[in-house]
Formats: sequence, C-alpha cells, structure tokens
Amino acid sequence: PTGDSWGIFTFLCAALCNLPALPALNCSEELGTSQSIQKTYDLTRYLEHQLRTLAGTYLNYLGPPFNEPDFTPPRLARAERVPSATVDLDLWRGLTDNARLAANYRAYSRLLCYLRALDGQAGTAELRHRLGHFCSSLQGLVLSIAGVMSSLGYPLPAGPLGPPAPPGTPVAPNDFLKKMDDFWLLKELQTWLWRSAKDFNRLKKKVPPAVVTLRLEARGF
Amino acid sequence: DSHIQYERVGADVTMKCGSMDWDAAVTWTANGTDIDESHLNGSYLILKNVDLTQSGQYSCYEGSSWHLKYQTYLRVGTPPKEPVLMCRSNNYPKGFYCSWHLPTPTYIPNSFNISVIHGTREMVCEKDVFPKNRCHIRYIQLFSTVKYKVTLTVTNALGKNSTTLTFDEFAIVKPDPPESVVAKPVPNNPRRLEVSWQNPSSWPDPESFPLKFFLRYRPLILDQWQHVELSDGTSHTITDAYAGKEYIIQVAAKDNDIGTWSDWSVAVHATPWTEEPKHLTTEAQITETTRASTSSFMPPPTTKICDKGAVVGSGAVAVCWTAGLVLAAYGVLFI
Repeated sequence: PTGDSWGIFTFLCAALCNLPALPALNCSEELGTSQSIQKTYDLTRYLEHQLRTLAGTYLNYLGPPFNEPDFTPPRLARAERVPSATVDLDLWRGLTDNARLAANYRAYSRLLCYLRALDGQAGTAELRHRLGHFCSSLQGLVLSIAGVMSSLGYPLPAGPLGPPAPPGTPVAPNDFLKKMDDFWLLKELQTWLWRSAKDFNRLKKKVPPAVVTLRLEARGF
Repeated sequence: DSHIQYERVGADVTMKCGSMDWDAAVTWTANGTDIDESHLNGSYLILKNVDLTQSGQYSCYEGSSWHLKYQTYLRVGTPPKEPVLMCRSNNYPKGFYCSWHLPTPTYIPNSFNISVIHGTREMVCEKDVFPKNRCHIRYIQLFSTVKYKVTLTVTNALGKNSTTLTFDEFAIVKPDPPESVVAKPVPNNPRRLEVSWQNPSSWPDPESFPLKFFLRYRPLILDQWQHVELSDGTSHTITDAYAGKEYIIQVAAKDNDIGTWSDWSVAVHATPWTEEPKHLTTEAQITETTRASTSSFMPPPTTKICDKGAVVGSGAVAVCWTAGLVLAAYGVLFI
C-alpha cells in the first residue's frame, strides 16, 4: 500500500506531532528556571536508561544482524530524515541558549513522532507496552524543554514538527530497509540523549540559580 | 658484505658461504668463535632448531687464505602474535588516543600501522613521540552515531598480525585520575578528615563536561573500604573516621554522564586530629587533667556519626539512627 496510506500516515503524524507543541502552561506556579533545567537534565538521564532496555528488546525483535554489537549499517539517504545529534565541535560550543534548546526541542519532537509510528507497527504486546511507556516519557521531555524555553522567554520553534515527507516517498520498499530505518532511529535517539545531557549541563551553568517567577499565558490551539 | 637474516625460533637454518662451492674448505665463526665442523655440511652451515641464544654474527672464511667470504647477522625471533590495542578518551571532547603493545616479545624489530575509519572517512592518527606505541586523533564532530573502527597491524620479517577495535564515541571516555589529592586532619575534630583534590589536568573543559568523583577510604588496619560518590565539588569531609587511626584515601573521576571511571588516584595517608596529652606539673593541672579525661568519655555528637558522608545502606541508616539515640541518651547521663 503506498499513496493513500502514506498520505494518511503523514496527516496523522502532523496532527499527533503538533499536539504537544503548544503546552497549555497557564500555570501560576513559580518555575525556578534552573530547577526546570535540572529536571529536564534528569529526564534525559532517565530516558537514556530506559532506552537501553527498550533498544535491546527492539533490536532482538528485529533479529540479526541488527542485534549484533558491532553492527554498523550504511546510512542511506532516507535515514537522514531522522534528526542527527552530530555537530561540529566549535559550532556546538558556540550555540546560543535559544539555539541549543530549539535544536533539542525540534529533535525530540520529530523523534517522538517516528517512535509513535513504530509503536503502531510493533510486533509483540510487550514491545508495544514498552514503546508506549517510552513515548509517554519522551513526550514529558518535549514538554519539559518547552517549559524551559518559555521560562527563558524564547519562542517555541514554529513549523511542522512531524517528519517532512517528500511526496511520493514510499514508507519502505522492503522489510530489511524498514528495519534499518528502525535501527538508525534508535541510534539517533540514544545519541541525542547523550548529547542533551551535555547541552543541559551547559545551560545549567549559564542560567543563574535565582528563582524566576513567571506568569505564562494560556495558549489554546 | 654483510646483511641481516631473520629466522623463526625452532627453524632449521642453512647458511651458504656466499658464492663458494659446496665442497670448498671454509671455516665458520659465530661472534668470533670458531664453529665445530659437525655443524657443517660441506661449506654450508647447518643450524637445527635455532633458539634465541643463537642470534649473532656469523662469518665464513676461506680455508687457507682466511679471507672473509661472507658475513651475516642472524636474528632469531617469532612472527607477531595478535597485538593488544586500547583506545581511550581522557580529554573528551578534544579527541582520543590509542595505544598498543605485543603480548609477547618477538625479539626482532616490528613495525606498526594503525588505521582509523569513521563511517566512510579515514582519519589520521598522529603518532606520539613519547610513548612510542601511541597515536592520537582529534574529534572533528561531536555526538557521532557512527562507530569508530581502529585496526592495528604489526609486521616483522617473519609475519604479520592485526587486531580491530570498534567503538562508539561515548564508550571510550575515561578520564585520568584526580590530581593533587590532599587529606588533612581538622583541628579539634578527632573524627574528621578534610580531603581535597583537583580535576585531572588532561580534562580540557570541566565547565561544560563536569566530572563526578568517587572517594574511598579506610583505616590502614582494616581491609574494607568505605565509599562516597560526589556529584560535584572537589572536596569532601570524612566525618566518621576512627579517632587516632591512620587512613588511606583515594579518589576516582568520571564524566558525569558517559564513559567509565578513571583509575584510582595516588593514595594519600592522614590521621585525624588527636588531643595533645597535657604535662603534669602542678596540682591544679592534675585536676584539670582528670576532668579532661572524664569528658573524653563523652560520646561524640550524634550528627557526626550519621553524616551524609558515611556509607549508607537502608539497613545501615536504621542502625545509625538507633545508635544515635542510644548515644544521645548515654551522653545525657554524663552531663
């Protein structure tokens, strides 16, 4: 199945992915910005830990060679759609707080979207359960990052956060390539979580620990 | 003319005396010493099952004229076994280094060739001047999803061997141990020791890549270590030291999020502060001493026993608190 189901898939993804983008943070509670950053940092560590178990289970489900320790498949052009954490060292150092947060926000929003798609197709009940749980935690991370950005006065990145699907691209021409996509998705997710720990470490040091009281406007959508 | 000849341990070696005929009369020497005729087959020198002691200079002289006809330097050795390769990033995020060695010596010269492949790109590993068997790579990109593949090939005159390591950027991060570890007693505190240290100097950016630390300490007289993990700061006060006992203390470091723990630092020794014994000269001072020794039976304040610094397991906490209460009651009796 190609054309129709791809269109539906894209639509669903766009809908799903734009939902968490605008958190209704009309909270009158005081958010210590540095506490939010710490919380976000802790979430990335928690997710990284969760991912280890999830990835192990999922790769075993995909079967060999995907679950072999030294397996490094080539990266095909299609896999580039998954946002990569890899960045030039000096560029990474020079990122402004806004750019740093925005990169994280965009990446996890898209990764979440892809993961949710994975969830729909996963084979076993156990896998679906694990994926579902992970997706919830990942959504929590996206919201947390949004919270930090808002508290620092940065606008949330605009635009579609779902995967930009070039028209006519098939989901995956065959089973093996689909598995390869899955492999790289998990790998990029893992790398992003490692990178985020460093991103948030840097942010922690730059934001003063003083409590910032904010009144955030309700955002409907 | 002389040249070098490499042969394997246990091999049979036949040396010809240059261009001399098989039936020519010659004399062979090994490092200047004549070789017995029993080792000769005509003018050929036969060495069976050579061992390392047979390495040396072999010369062949024409029988009557004592002309030097041929000279060779025999080096007995072995082909290389699979080398041991290790790669590590002690200066993250600057880069990493790889170092290698052979598990057993070959006794002959070896050359090493290292190749580092990252995805499709081949990277240059710059050889270090010292130590010799080491090279380093600078990271161009950070947070890479693609593994690094390092292949080391050892070659010598008798054969070659190689080994390959494949790893993720994060997996090889291991800082050097903390430096300048100092442990000092705390005046008027018989159960405290103040420990301080510094980040390893090879770690380039502790601001963005903070380290966490692991401290272990024990009195010399005991075998069991106590451990404290510290997520920031480069100092810690031990508050449950046994009074008057000499302690041995070590610290290790790790990147906050990735990689593995460093080796333990150099060990430092320290003994907690003890009260100086007073000299008895007058009666007044004797009374003072008596009072002082009575007060020394008072148990130390409970907060010092169950401090955060002590090893705490959930069971230990319960014991700790109970002990605290008991001692508090005990202390009250002596006031």
